[in-house]
Amino acid sequence: MCVIKIENLVRDYGGGNGVFDVSFHVNKGEAFGFLGPNGAGKTTTIRHLMGFLKTQSGKCTIEGLDCWKEREMIQARLGYIPGEISFFEDMTGTEFLKFIAEYRKIDAQNRKEELLERFELNPKSRIKKMSKGMKQKLGIVAAFMHDPDILILDEPTSGLDPLMQSRFIRLIAEEKEHGKTVLMSSHMFEEVERTCDRIGIIQKGRMITVESAAALHERHTRSYTVALENETDAKAFAADFDGIQNGTNVTVTTKQSLEEIFMNYYGGSKND
Amino acid sequence: MISMALFKRELKGSIKLLIIFCAIITLYVSVIIYMYDPQMMKTLDGFVEAMPELMASVGMKANAANLLGFMVSYLYGFILLIFPMIFCILRGNALIAKYVDNGSMALLAAAPIKRRTIAFTQMNVLVSGIFLLVLYSTIVELVCAEIGFPGELDITSLFLLNGGLLCLHLFIGSICFLSSCVFSDTKYSLAFGAGIPAFMYVLQMLANAGEDAEKIKYFTFFTLFHPDGMIAGDSSAAAGVLILFACAVVLYVLGIKVFERKDLYV
Repeated sequence: MCVIKIENLVRDYGGGNGVFDVSFHVNKGEAFGFLGPNGAGKTTTIRHLMGFLKTQSGKCTIEGLDCWKEREMIQARLGYIPGEISFFEDMTGTEFLKFIAEYRKIDAQNRKEELLERFELNPKSRIKKMSKGMKQKLGIVAAFMHDPDILILDEPTSGLDPLMQSRFIRLIAEEKEHGKTVLMSSHMFEEVERTCDRIGIIQKGRMITVESAAALHERHTRSYTVALENETDAKAFAADFDGIQNGTNVTVTTKQSLEEIFMNYYGGSKND
Repeated sequence: MISMALFKRELKGSIKLLIIFCAIITLYVSVIIYMYDPQMMKTLDGFVEAMPELMASVGMKANAANLLGFMVSYLYGFILLIFPMIFCILRGNALIAKYVDNGSMALLAAAPIKRRTIAFTQMNVLVSGIFLLVLYSTIVELVCAEIGFPGELDITSLFLLNGGLLCLHLFIGSICFLSSCVFSDTKYSLAFGAGIPAFMYVLQMLANAGEDAEKIKYFTFFTLFHPDGMIAGDSSAAAGVLILFACAVVLYVLGIKVFERKDLYV
């Protein structure tokens, strides 16, 4: 069942910028990775889903509700991490989380404590004085605090150190197990590869592919069978290159990294 | 149709400014009222005679008949116009446009709260700030007048006068609010929200200053608030104030509608 659905979305900023005829959907309980370089249109697409922007043409719905006209009904069940979070800088983290809970009219004390502990965040200091990573963690806590069914995450791990990134990825995996629907934009292949079931790639405002993560891998895997002189060599070769030995024959497979796949689509060289 | 959590937060944001402006108003009002003294009146009238254009441009005229007339001459031309106006400009800009500009509007919009409710709440913050300022001015005027010159102040007329002042500032606030809702960039929000009232005030000063320039008064909304007319119970003065109030309502509603429908790049 489709939870998030985008059909032929167009937003033309002029000069070739914007998004053009973007369509994809995210099923219930699925994690969808939304990949693209900077300025490809990821955030613009997400702003339409959030009801911040009105579609010029095309249609965006979440659970069948129109993302522009019925935005406040959608928002009740949605958690959002903006691409560039900016807070009320005059508050401390604690005050901010308290404000958000009051503003959304939710009581989320337990969940909040659990998330703060998970990301080792002490929210007592002023937001103005927080590092980028701390602000990002605060944004994550604020987005997950009310236990939403649908998560729209715009480059959620930016600013996090590798340890926190993997904790975040684990959090997403848990949410997915609980049947939550996740749309996550990123320009980091690794995190999308590790968390998402399907991946959509956007370039210059146009979707160039939407495929399952597994299929993307499958398609970009190559196998070679090598015949060696004797079985001892074959055994050593198989051990060194992680191949499968069959007599004097050894089969090795290479996987293109998602990065290489990505570069193929963009037509750019690996060096840029 | 109002978010209490947001209202409380924003009221806190108004308090610092309110305290500063209340302090300034207290200072000026008390000093001016204590200057009401037949002897001092002569000195002030002397100033007016010496430089009539300059004094008139800030609304000060000679021979104010009684205490209230004196207050109208020396308070309602500059101090009680300018300071609440600055409050409107600063808060009006900060309540919507600043949040859209710096992106924190995303936090408010990404919640099950209607945009109409967000804008209406912010409007209420602005309006209650204006109301508190005018109410406080009234109280200070009453207290100072009663201490200094018991029984001399025509209290009913003062209430009428300040009712008019409230309408004027509600209108100025509505200009700032609308401009804050329309523009996503504080640069433009301030240019219009501060520029229009300030320009209108300058026109008002010009119109007051010289006979030749008097026609300018038809180009500024400050003319609609006529303090002398208000205390005299003029029906045209009352009509002017009612027009200000009606326009304020229209502009606030327009601001909310614009914010409800605009694209937010946050």
